[in-house]
Amino acid sequence: MLETETRTSASSERAQLIEALIEIAAERGYMDTSIELVIAHAGLDRPAFDRHFRGKYDCFLSAWQEMNEECMASLMHAYNSQQYWPDRLRAVAIEVVGSLCNDPSRAGFAVEVLAAGDAARARRDMTMRVIASLIDAGRKEMDDPESVPHTTAEALAGSAYGQVYAKVVRGDTDELPKLIPQLMSAAVMPYLGVEAALEELDRGSKMPDRYRRPVAATPADTPVENGEEYPPELARLPPGRHGLPREFVAHNQRERLIAGLAEAIAENGYAGTTIAHITRHAAVSRRTFYEHFASKDECFVAAYDTVMTELRERVGQAFEEADDWPHAVKAGIGAMLRFLAAEPNLARLCMVEALVAGPVVVERYDSAIQSFVPYFQTGREGRSPEVLARLSATTEEALVGGMMSLISRRIIAGKTAELESLLPDLVEFTLTPYLGSDEAAKVARED
Amino acid sequence: MEKGYRAVTVADIVRRAGIARNTFYENFSSKEDCFLAASEFAVKEALRRVVDAASKVDSWPARVNSGLSAFLHYVASEPALARTCIVEALSAGPAAVDRYERSIQAFVPLFRMGRKVSPHGEELPGTLEETIVGGVFWIIYQRIIMGQTEQIEELLPELVEFSLTPYLGAEAAKRAAAEQPQTTSG
Repeated sequence: MLETETRTSASSERAQLIEALIEIAAERGYMDTSIELVIAHAGLDRPAFDRHFRGKYDCFLSAWQEMNEECMASLMHAYNSQQYWPDRLRAVAIEVVGSLCNDPSRAGFAVEVLAAGDAARARRDMTMRVIASLIDAGRKEMDDPESVPHTTAEALAGSAYGQVYAKVVRGDTDELPKLIPQLMSAAVMPYLGVEAALEELDRGSKMPDRYRRPVAATPADTPVENGEEYPPELARLPPGRHGLPREFVAHNQRERLIAGLAEAIAENGYAGTTIAHITRHAAVSRRTFYEHFASKDECFVAAYDTVMTELRERVGQAFEEADDWPHAVKAGIGAMLRFLAAEPNLARLCMVEALVAGPVVVERYDSAIQSFVPYFQTGREGRSPEVLARLSATTEEALVGGMMSLISRRIIAGKTAELESLLPDLVEFTLTPYLGSDEAAKVARED
Repeated sequence: MEKGYRAVTVADIVRRAGIARNTFYENFSSKEDCFLAASEFAVKEALRRVVDAASKVDSWPARVNSGLSAFLHYVASEPALARTCIVEALSAGPAAVDRYERSIQAFVPLFRMGRKVSPHGEELPGTLEETIVGGVFWIIYQRIIMGQTEQIEELLPELVEFSLTPYLGAEAAKRAAAEQPQTTSG
C-alpha cells in the first residue's frame, strides 16, 4: 500500500514540475528558464527534479511531448465528434484555437520550446503531419479522390500553423477565433470547391460557450492528467539502463563502436556525445573509430540501421508465427515492446534521439514508420464496406505514428523497463478501426 | 546557417566571413541584427527574381507559374539563404516573426491579381493569399529540413496547382500547372 502512495506522489511531483516549467518558460523563454526557478516555483527540491528528469533539456522535451500527446488526443476527439468532414475539420480548428485562448501559458510554452532545438521542432512537425492527414481526408469527399496533390493538405496545415504562431508570439490570442472561418474556407476549397468555401466564411467565428471562459485560468482549473498507473509488480523493476546483452555486444569493432555510441548517448544525449565518449565506452582507439566511420553522424546512422533491422526482424517473425491477423498484430507489437524494454539504450537511440540527430536520420525514422504500415494494411482484407469506408488512406500511418509516440513518451519518462505493460492498450488502439472496439478489446485483454 | 540559428555564435560568423570581431560589431549590433539583415537580403533577392520572371509573361496563371519556378530555383541554388529566410524565421524570436510575415506579404500581390480572373473575386477569404504563400513556404521548409533541397524544383506543378485552384477552379489550375514555365536563360 505504501508503494502505491509513493508512486502517486511521484507522478504528481512530475506533473507539478512540468506545470512549473511551462509557466516559467512561457514567461521567460527557454534561455532564461533554470532548474532552480522551476523547483522553487513547484515548491520542490533538486533531488525531486533529478528523480524525474536528466536536466533542463529533458524536462522541456518531456513537457512538450506530453503537450503534443494531449493535443493529439483532444484533436482526434474533436474530429470524431462530428459526422461530416468539413464539420470535423471545423471542430478541430475550434479545439486548437479554444485551447490556445484558454491557456496562455501553454500557448507561450509552445512557442518558446522551439528554442530547445531540433527535437522539439521534429515533434511539432509530427503533430503537423497528423493535422495535415485530417485535412487530406477531404479527398474522400471528391468524385476523383486522386485529383488533389498530397502536398496541398501539408501546405494548408503549415500555413495555418504560421498564421496562428504569429498571433501567439505577438500575444494576440484574442484574435485567433477570427482566423477560423478564413482558414476553414481555404482548407475546404481544393476538395469541395469554391461555393462550399464561401459558405464556410459565412459561418462566422462564434466559439462554442465552453471556450468563452475567462482567460486568466488558474493552474487548478487545468490539471495535468497523468493517468499512468502501473501494477505494483511492474513498478518493482528498476528503471534506467541495463547493460547491453551479450548478443549485441560485439565480437568486432564496428559493433562495439555502435554499442559504445548507444551507451554514450544514453548518458549524454546525442548532442552531448563526443567521439571520445564513444571510443571510451567501446574501449577502442580513436584511430579505430575513424577506420570505420567518418563522423559521429555516420556512426549514428549505422547504429540506427542496425537497431531497426533487428527490430524489424523480430516483429516480422512474431507476426508470421501467429494464427490470424489480430493475433499477429498483437504478437508483433509484443515483440517490439519486449525488444525495446530489454535494450533501454537502443530504445532511446532509435525512438528518442533519432528525432534529434538531423535530417539523415529523421528521414530514416519516417521510412521506419512506413515499413510497419503494411502489417496494419493487411487488416483491411475481408472487411465489410462500412468498415473500409471508415478507414482513410493515412489510417495505418497514423496508427504507427501514434504507437511510436506513446512508446517514446514512456522512454523519455525513464519507464523503458515497463514498456510491455503498454501492450493491451496499444493492441486495442490499433485493432479498433478494423474490428470495432469490443472485438479489439477482447483480443487485447486475453492471455 | 548550417548549424541553425540558435547554435550559431558571433565567433562562428566572423570566422566564416574571415573578418575581425570588431568589423562585425561595426556593421551589426548583435547576432539577431545580423540574422535579420541576412534574411532581408534573402527575401529581397528572391522577390527580385520572382518579379523578374513573372514580368516576362502576360497571363496571370503563367506569371504564377514562372514566378514560382524562379523561387524554387532560387531555393535550390541558394539553400543557405533559403534556410535563413524560411526555416530559422520560426525559431528566432518576435522580430523574426515580423520579418517572416513581411516576406509573406511581399509575395501576396502576385497572387492577389488572381481575384480579377476569378468569378468570385473579392468574396474569397481575405487571408487567402497569405495562406497560399505561407503554404508554399511551409512545403519548402519541410523539404529543407529533410535535406531534400536538390529535388525542390520537382514540386513546381503541385505548388502551381495549389496556388491557382482557388481562383481558376481545379481543372483550369491543373491544365495551367501542366504547362512548362517560361523561364529566362540561367
